[in-house]
Amino acid sequence: MRYETVIGLEVHVELATESKIFCSCSAKFGGEQNDHVCPACCGMPGMLPVVNKHVVDLGMTAGMMLNCDINRTTTFDKKSYYYPDLPCSYQTTQWFAPVAVNGLVDIETSKGKKSIRIKQIHMEEDAGKLVHDDWTDTSLVDFNRTSVPLIEIVSQPDLSSAEEVIAYLERLRSLLRFAKVSDCRMEQGSMRCDVNLSVRPEGSDKLGVRTEMKNMNSLTAITRAIEYEVARHIDAIENGTEELVQETRRWDDVKGKSYAMRNKETAGDYRYFPDPNIMPVVIDDAWYNGIKASLPEFPEIKRARYIDELGLTEYDADLLTASRAFCDCFEAAYEVCGSAKEVANWLISDCMNILNRKQMTVDELKLDGKTLGELIKLCMDGKVNRGNAKKILMEMFDSETPIDPAAYAEANGFIVSNDTGKMDEVIKAAVAADPKAVADFKGGKEKALLAIFGKCMKELKGNCDPQKLREALLKHIDSL
Amino acid sequence: MLITDKESFKRLQKLNQLALTEKEETDVLAFFTARNEDITALGAVDTENVERMVHVMPMETVVREDKEIKLFTRDELQKSAPESYEGYWQVPRLVE
Ligand SMILES: [Zn+2]
Repeated sequence: MRYETVIGLEVHVELATESKIFCSCSAKFGGEQNDHVCPACCGMPGMLPVVNKHVVDLGMTAGMMLNCDINRTTTFDKKSYYYPDLPCSYQTTQWFAPVAVNGLVDIETSKGKKSIRIKQIHMEEDAGKLVHDDWTDTSLVDFNRTSVPLIEIVSQPDLSSAEEVIAYLERLRSLLRFAKVSDCRMEQGSMRCDVNLSVRPEGSDKLGVRTEMKNMNSLTAITRAIEYEVARHIDAIENGTEELVQETRRWDDVKGKSYAMRNKETAGDYRYFPDPNIMPVVIDDAWYNGIKASLPEFPEIKRARYIDELGLTEYDADLLTASRAFCDCFEAAYEVCGSAKEVANWLISDCMNILNRKQMTVDELKLDGKTLGELIKLCMDGKVNRGNAKKILMEMFDSETPIDPAAYAEANGFIVSNDTGKMDEVIKAAVAADPKAVADFKGGKEKALLAIFGKCMKELKGNCDPQKLREALLKHIDSL
Repeated sequence: MLITDKESFKRLQKLNQLALTEKEETDVLAFFTARNEDITALGAVDTENVERMVHVMPMETVVREDKEIKLFTRDELQKSAPESYEGYWQVPRLVE
């Protein structure tokens, strides 16, 4: 018999905010244990939540990016469960009127295009972290992550393979990064997902027994876990190796196995009820339209525009549109210097090299696009040579304060003098007078150049930038 | 979840980590059973085409700007903790 797999995903994404969802504590990743806490987020009695506006901004943004309807009156509810990483014994989340519903995400796999329906997106708070300490035989609680804002994106059970799940997650990640909703770094846990999975005979309209794997945070682990679960389900159905039960399972990626978890809560056990401490969030037209207007162009639309209108190659367009930071920088620089090709070259070769050397990702590019455009323009106009322009670029990456390329070039003697006639004359004469040194240099003896260099310097009475002289000299020898 | 008998009530107690005396148990269970009747009675009301009441108060929330403000130190907050250890709140060990 042939089987089909039915998968629905719940994806948790940590929002890119400065502060927590209901208090003003830092939402930054890391920090010393319990350094980002206050009486509100560590559950002291009498503390009241105050909603962070930006969380709603980002919830709406995510909803719009995923083609959802926005609930213009959205409310928070309490989900009760007792665990020490949850200081209030309830999590504030959205159950009755989530911020966004009924969305659609398009994915593409080797089998073609497919649309995945989104059931809802809700805003909620994260829980704290527990460390189990063998030495003291106790559990230690860190509330830094408590109340850090999340959205949970709940899909309909429209996915049918690990490949589709990965394509879906990558699509979500790309859209949410583009809209600056989250950095979606799975390795830091800012994007993680619960996989709901069941298997049924092909063509059957009855769903099989569903199991859930929680807190998956790597694409390879997700693929392995899905493949394992599908095989386990089919084995149980065909060979009766075990009785399948609806349950939550934990994936152990080292052992390559999933295990049943002990607690089996159902939705009823969470006793959801409207949070009486938070009045409804009402999104008026101005707020709604402001968010709508701030949405970025979708990456594939940008890509097509870069190719069709700006004449970039597909390769360049792919590289640039992989990151919003690169797109923003590219577009701002292009506006200043007017050459898309030049900007693409600078970003893809020079900037990418510098990022690699600094072991930074493309999303960490902080370069100001307008400044980059000014630098490229200096170079295109022949005012600064490419070698020196690269030095300025390095400085732009390293400097804490903004660099004005023209002023920096001036201050460091990088402006190509208009009166290069004299220098060129001197170089030509010196090179012509010492063919042996030139031949030695070309043969690999770097030091041979020093003699000619010294002669030129003397001839120019030292009135030149040694760097420029060296470059002009090398350029001349290269041209021979 | 509807509390209808001793068993479902035990489940609720466990979820809330509550320990009740036998007398308390009987009293509270009687209270819950009576409320079930109220809830069932409410089910008879026709709510077709009635807009959901999102909140009992006709008010909307105020929102705050996304600004980080540090108001408390860890030591201040942990003064009231029964146990703490190297900046962590310390609780009885939980088996995973
Ligand atoms: Zn706080």
